[in-house]
Amino acid sequence: MMSQMKSTTVSHVQSHTMTQVEETMHYNHNYESEMEEYMMQEEDWDRDLLLDPAWEKQQRKTFTAWCNSHLRKAGTQIENIEDDFRNGLKLMLLLEVISGERLPKPDQGKMRFHKIANVNKALDYISSKGVKLVSIGAEEIVDGNVKMTLGMIWTIILRFAIHDISVEETSAKEGLLLWCQRKTAPYKNVNVQNFHTSWKDGLALCALIHRHRPDLIDYSKLRKDDALYNLNLALDIAEKELDIPKMLDPEDIVNTPKPDQRALMTYVSCFYHAFAGAEQAEMAANRICKILAVNQENEKSMAEYERLASELLQWIKRTIPWLENRSSEKTMQAMQQKLEDFRDYRRLHKPPKIQEKCQLEINFNTLQTKLRISNRPAFMPSEGKMVSDIAGAWQRLEQAEKGYEEWLQTEIRRLERLDHLAEKFRQKATTYEMWSHGKDYTLMQKDYESASLTEVRALLRKHEAFESDLAAHQDRVEQIAAIAQELNELDYHNAAEINARCQKICDQWDNFGTLTQKRREALERAEKLQETIDQLFLEFAKRAAPFKNWMEGAMEDLQDMFIVHSIEEIQSLIAAHEQFKATLPEADSEKQAILGILNEVQKITQSYNISSTVSNPYSMISRDEINAKWDKVKQLVPQRDAALQEELVRQHGNERLRRQFASQANVIGPWIQRKMEEIAQSSIEMTGTLEDQMNQLKQLEEVIINYKPNVDKLEGDHQLIQEALIFDNKHTNYTMEHIRVGWEMLLTTIARSMNEIETQILTRDAKGITQQQMNEFRSSFSHFDRKKNGAMEPDDLRACLISMGFDLGEAEFARIMNLVDPNNTGLVSFQSFISFMTRETAETDTADQVVASFRILAGDKPYILAEELRRELPSDQAEYCIASMPPYRGPNAVPGALDYVSFSTALYGESDL
Amino acid sequence: MHPSVYRAKVEKQKGRHNSVTVEVFLQGGAPWGFTLKGGLEHGEPLIISKVEEGGKADLLTSKLQVGDEVININNVELSGYRQEAITLVKGSYKTLKLLIRRYEIWSR
Repeated sequence: MMSQMKSTTVSHVQSHTMTQVEETMHYNHNYESEMEEYMMQEEDWDRDLLLDPAWEKQQRKTFTAWCNSHLRKAGTQIENIEDDFRNGLKLMLLLEVISGERLPKPDQGKMRFHKIANVNKALDYISSKGVKLVSIGAEEIVDGNVKMTLGMIWTIILRFAIHDISVEETSAKEGLLLWCQRKTAPYKNVNVQNFHTSWKDGLALCALIHRHRPDLIDYSKLRKDDALYNLNLALDIAEKELDIPKMLDPEDIVNTPKPDQRALMTYVSCFYHAFAGAEQAEMAANRICKILAVNQENEKSMAEYERLASELLQWIKRTIPWLENRSSEKTMQAMQQKLEDFRDYRRLHKPPKIQEKCQLEINFNTLQTKLRISNRPAFMPSEGKMVSDIAGAWQRLEQAEKGYEEWLQTEIRRLERLDHLAEKFRQKATTYEMWSHGKDYTLMQKDYESASLTEVRALLRKHEAFESDLAAHQDRVEQIAAIAQELNELDYHNAAEINARCQKICDQWDNFGTLTQKRREALERAEKLQETIDQLFLEFAKRAAPFKNWMEGAMEDLQDMFIVHSIEEIQSLIAAHEQFKATLPEADSEKQAILGILNEVQKITQSYNISSTVSNPYSMISRDEINAKWDKVKQLVPQRDAALQEELVRQHGNERLRRQFASQANVIGPWIQRKMEEIAQSSIEMTGTLEDQMNQLKQLEEVIINYKPNVDKLEGDHQLIQEALIFDNKHTNYTMEHIRVGWEMLLTTIARSMNEIETQILTRDAKGITQQQMNEFRSSFSHFDRKKNGAMEPDDLRACLISMGFDLGEAEFARIMNLVDPNNTGLVSFQSFISFMTRETAETDTADQVVASFRILAGDKPYILAEELRRELPSDQAEYCIASMPPYRGPNAVPGALDYVSFSTALYGESDL
Repeated sequence: MHPSVYRAKVEKQKGRHNSVTVEVFLQGGAPWGFTLKGGLEHGEPLIISKVEEGGKADLLTSKLQVGDEVININNVELSGYRQEAITLVKGSYKTLKLLIRRYEIWSR
């Protein structure tokens, strides 16, 4: 029965899985199952008690040869496989040889049970090697059961020669097959598929030999159909060169359609062991080479690692100090350059190093892995180059980096701030210096020494202003100092310069303070002095002015032109003058006091060294002026005395004149008065006729005229008085004027009275008023002449008329007034009164009557001629008429006709109709 | 004086006092019982200066009053001359028509 086995052609067999070709008759390739399968076969055969004799033969030969190849090493052989193992001793020996292990001591004895025990020992050993011996018992072996023995030997072969075959993780039979396939793969005419038919042409064996020892066989010369030759050749070479005894019979193989695979497997396994050993050696050598190579590689890697690590560490070692360098630059540019360098470092220098480190790690890991998988001890880098060291160093680097960067930033900021501060300082210091320039000079001025009070005050104000300005600047100086302080704290590189300037400023500031204070004191002192002086000046002014006025007044008074009109006046002037003289001493002391003030001022200016050109702002009055005026006053006093005395004398003289006049006037005045009264009296008295009255008056007149010389004399006296410029006279109430006027009045009155009497006489005669009537009129008039001034006022008239029984309305009264007082003087004279009265009581001529009278004269014509007028009337009256009459323009008018009608009506103010 | 001037003078003399114009109708013939005063001859207005008590002028219901200025006699506008006025009055037979201007009288 030929079994078809398909083997895998997978080159990297990692597992035991193989495809199984299902055929009617096939066998599992699993060793265990193969064992069972074999056993099953055996059992089948047992049942059938059939054993393929060909196989038995092949097996017997092959197995024997195989055992002998091993037993040979122990110095023994077997001839007959079923017999020579019966006592178990050679079996045990065989096992010892092929395993290399000691079996338990065999029982020495010839008895069956000794043999069974030994065989059991062997079997036990075999089973201790993990082989399940199914249905193989020690008795069968002791009894020489061929099948059993062959089976047992096959078991041993399988276990010790084939089981351990491992080819690319394929073991035992499959492994062996694989090994054959591998090795014969280059030989195109060989196709090993199994352990029976594939070997029949012998090429497989030759190929195997040639594969390993091409020097032993010229494979190219072999032919497929020459199987016998091939087999023999292979067998021979194997025996001679490879120390593999001939275990096969080439004829058997050729002739058998399917050679016994066990035999073949056994024989081929020897080849395996022979070559594999060599191969193993080769492989071992290879392995060693590989290992060595790996080792070398690893060592190279290690060295590389060490190198790289060392380089990296050195770089780190170099770099860290650079990063840890905290020495600051002075300028910001330098720092920024540093920052730039750092950036370069980060951008350009570090990344490759990171790469390196990474690479190092990778290398390390790779190396470790390689070492581990190649079962080598892990790589221990040398001291200081360990991963932890590198990691540690790298960490320090990174920390240093971070620190550095931070420090750079901080530093740059600091420098920036410093620059800013320094600039600020400079600005402020400059500003301050500009402000303060020259101020100390100003402060030390002594300008107040020659200044007036207002000037000093102004200086004080200015100083105050300066003080507040100073105070305002206090802040700034403090600021400057603060900035300098900060610059120092921040460790500015040029702090010395700053400090020096700051110091200068502060010193100057303190100096200012001192100077300011001093100046203030000086100014205040100057002010005080000036104030004192000012006070004195003021006092001087207050006193000097009135004093001067007094003096001037006195001078004026002393020179005063006086005009006195009486002794009393002059005497009072003299008295006043005396009084004035009395005040002189007091005035003198006042003068002294005033001048004393000036002396005081002078003293002050001299002692305090103030400019003495200081002038009095309150007064223009000088010492000299005062003195001059005083002297003048003194001078004028006696002058006045003299003048006054002179006047007194004069006044006395005047007084005499006055008295003289007065005595005269006092006589004449009353005399005139009496005479006036006399006149009035005669007017009022009603006794006697008008003619009597007239005579009386005439007499009086004469007396009066005779008295005239007295008046003239008085005039003379009056002249004197006037020449003496005497204007008043208390000795008499009568002035010359009075007398004159009185005299005139007297004369006038007498004349008028006389006139009046005349008129009354006329009127009486004209009107035919009796004396009695006249007296009545007169007494009424006198009675109502309330004011007794010879005329009535309208009210008087009214009263008078009422008393006479006239019932007057307003209109009537008005008419009457108009009549009696046509000129509206407001006074009614006696004459008018008489006229009115007489008219009212007497027949009045009317215009008609006049007209009638004229008509008579005109001969009944409506006009009259001039010659007629001249003929009838007195010449002047006629002329008056001729002149006054308007020409007659009526009918029958002739030249020279005069209209007497209109003339008449015109004469009369009214016409009764 | 020219009449119109006279009138102006009159008005000036009289001042700006209110005046009324009154027509007075007398009957019965002369005497009429009033007295005229003034006139252009004297440079004065023509005024009634007296009204005889019980005379015809006095017995009218609307009396003539002292102070009345005569401006018109028998529908003849007066020139102002008293002579003219007298003539006109004397010329009246049984009836006399006067037009007078009466001013307010103010008390003294």
